Formats: sequence, structure tokens, C-alpha cells
Amino acid sequence: MSDVNSSTGSSPSGGSIRRSSRSRSRKKKKNQLPIGVALLALIVAFGIFLGTRNEQLVLFWITGLAFGYILQHARFCFTAACRDPYLTGGTNLTKAVLVAFAITSIGFIAVHYGAHLRGAPMPGSAYIVPISAATAIGAFMFGIGMVISGGCASGTLMRVGEGFTMQLLSLFFFVVGSLWGAHDFGWWKLNVILQGKAVYLPDVFGWVGAVVVQLLIIALLWIAADKWADKKSQEA
Amino acid sequence: MKEVELDCYGEACPVPLVKAQNKLKEMEVGDVLIVQIDHSCAMKNVPEWARKEGHNVEVEEIDDGEWEVIIEKMK
Repeated sequence: MSDVNSSTGSSPSGGSIRRSSRSRSRKKKKNQLPIGVALLALIVAFGIFLGTRNEQLVLFWITGLAFGYILQHARFCFTAACRDPYLTGGTNLTKAVLVAFAITSIGFIAVHYGAHLRGAPMPGSAYIVPISAATAIGAFMFGIGMVISGGCASGTLMRVGEGFTMQLLSLFFFVVGSLWGAHDFGWWKLNVILQGKAVYLPDVFGWVGAVVVQLLIIALLWIAADKWADKKSQEA
Repeated sequence: MKEVELDCYGEACPVPLVKAQNKLKEMEVGDVLIVQIDHSCAMKNVPEWARKEGHNVEVEEIDDGEWEVIIEKMK
């Protein structure tokens, strides 16, 4: 029994926490390389197939795969970003999400400003929708749902792809809920959503002002998240 | 020294974390908690929490997509 004990300090390598000597039957891991190569070939083949149909689909195929890959490997989890500050006091993911928001804000404003300069129709202007109490209530309900089901939309898709079968259940009811929501969306839009006021930041603050205000709010949230983690780790 | 195994197979994040927190609370310093998980997200936040609390932590991948997080209670 090689139960060499070291009780102090964190241990980077395995085996330094003393454990009972019962032998752990370890299954021999299967070599996944052939499956990986086959999958890669399949991905490329399907991409080529899509290319013969519609070039845009290839772009969606590649960006979708890239998005999933990054999401899975970075453990980027919007649920954890909202939940962990309460649960563990950790805000690393919260800060990561805020940084992502900051980067995409700059990207979006570049695209919008480019369109504005060229006098082209604003891409994505259909998504500038009114905000009201409904936004906040809906966000709160979504938050409860994603913490219970263990993932938001992208997180659920990613974990199902990863092979976590329990969340197939989440995926199923996610689809059911989305369909139900889509079914009644007309009524909600007419009676609730359109009662609010649509705010487009560049209209309010000007182009430079919009970037500054947006990034300032994100920066303040980032600082708050940082302070929160410090406070929580001192309490612990 | 006690060694406790906590079976969290099939449980989505954050359930393994909460279970581990509760279990560790009722254990004594020097005891070892082995959290068995197959949710990759929990594989990240359970060790992160335990390290932040100052415990000794090791993660072992015992099979494809199955991990044991070994936590030695330090305080």
C-alpha cells in the first residue's frame, strides 16, 4: 500500500491524499482516436455536402461547431455565472461573461456604425425591442428555470452533446416550452411587450456615448463581481 | 480518519456541489470525502469551491466522463 501521507499544502499531482487501500478497479479506457478521426471526416464531408446546397449553411455549420467546442472546453456556463456568486461566492465565470459582453458590444457597435456610415439598413434592428417589467419578470423566471434544469439554452445543448443524458429531459421540455412560448407570442407581444419603450443606446447617447455607457456599466459590474468574490472568500 | 463516498452520478450541477458542501460540513478535520460525478461542469466547480475553502483537493478521471473529486477536510 503506497499510502504515503502528506497532510499539508495543496497537492498538484495525484496520490498525496491518504485514501483507503481498497483497490480501485479501473476500467481500461478505450482509445477514442479512431472515433475522433471518423467524426472529423464526417464533419468535413457534411460541410462539403452543405456547400453544394447553400454556401451560407457552411458558415453556420463551422461557426456552430466552433461555438460548441469553445463552450464545452471553456466550461463557459451562463447559469453558473448567475448562480455561483450566491452558491459558492466564486465570480470567475461571472467576470468571464461580462468580458464576453464587453467584446461583443464593441463588435456589435462596429457592425452597426459601419451600416450607419454606409446608410445601409441596420443589421439586427428587428431585435431592438421594447423593454418593460415583462423583461425583468421573464429574465427572473428564466433564471429559476435554468438553475433547476442545470443549464441555459446553450449549456443544455452543449451538455447533451457531451453525453449527459439527464439533460435530454431538460432539452425536451426546453423545446416544449419554446414551442408553447412561440404559440402565444403574438398575444404577449401585442398586449405586454409593445406597451414598453424600445431603447436604442446610440439614439440616446450618440455613438461614442453608447459605447462608453455600455462599457462603463459592464466595468462597474465587473468590479462589483470582483469585490463580491473577495468579500465571500473572507467570510469563508 | 473517515472516508466517505458521495455518489452524485447523474446529478446535474449544482446538485453535486450542494451535496458535497452539506456532507463536508458534518465531517471532521482530516476526513476524506470522495465525490463521484459525471457532470463535467461539477468537475469544475466542486474542486474550485473546495480549494477556495482551503481543503486539499484532487481530481481523478476514473473513466471517460466520470470523475472522483477527493477532498481532504482541512479545517
